[in-house]
Amino acid sequence: MEFAIFFFFAAVAVIFALVVVLHRNPVVGALSLVASFFALAVMYVLLEAPFLAALQVIVYAGAIMVLFLFVIMLLNLQHVAEPVTRPVQQFLGYTSGAAFGLGLLYYIVKYAVFAKLPAGPFVTDARTIGIKLFEAYVFPFEMVSILLLAAIVGALLLSGRQYQKREAAP
Amino acid sequence: MIPTHYFLILSAILFTIGVVGVLTRKNGITIFMSIELMVNAVNLTFLAYARQFHQVHGLIFVFFIMAIAAAEAAVGLAIFITLFHHRDTIDVDEANLMHW
Repeated sequence: MEFAIFFFFAAVAVIFALVVVLHRNPVVGALSLVASFFALAVMYVLLEAPFLAALQVIVYAGAIMVLFLFVIMLLNLQHVAEPVTRPVQQFLGYTSGAAFGLGLLYYIVKYAVFAKLPAGPFVTDARTIGIKLFEAYVFPFEMVSILLLAAIVGALLLSGRQYQKREAAP
Repeated sequence: MIPTHYFLILSAILFTIGVVGVLTRKNGITIFMSIELMVNAVNLTFLAYARQFHQVHGLIFVFFIMAIAAAEAAVGLAIFITLFHHRDTIDVDEANLMHW
């Protein structure tokens, strides 16, 4: 049963990821990416990390992808045809990507041979993560909060000023 | 119990799809979405290893990666909005101001 769930959602994740890369309409790509992230959240549940699965749905599928969709619709990109990539770039991209993927798979199959999983339950509830986060990882946690503040200021500075310039120019 | 290397292989496939997307597409937003795909593949690897070795550190790393991906998405999309206002396109080949 677990294997059936794994293979079904792995197929969903891979197929929607392929749609993201191959489809020419960015709105379809963004929605497929949301579907792929939901499938990955199921993977997180299978990996005994339900808290991270909830974060994946809320932060990734909820917040980040909505930001992507808003930008796509704000720029009105769904009607803009993407120019076709040069054949040389396509050939090099596909072949080097395939070579990279095959190398990765080769080394995983050859070297990623693990002993059996350790016995006992793997406790990963929000309480355990919170205690770890505020004991061992307090400094990185504060650094991330400062980084997020810097990102807010940077995003406002980058995207806010252009509108004023446009209105002032004519 | 699903073995760890199943998750590693799935993660490798997703990462490769992301790499191909970055290398072959011209639309800046699609390239950005491919990068998010690669970030998620790495998150899956972190969680697989966290379960394999019963370490909570992997989960906390994934937590930080999610926060940083949010910051990255905000700044990157702001850059694309600025680029669109200057060039009226988000074709990354048009962003050649620093081109030799």
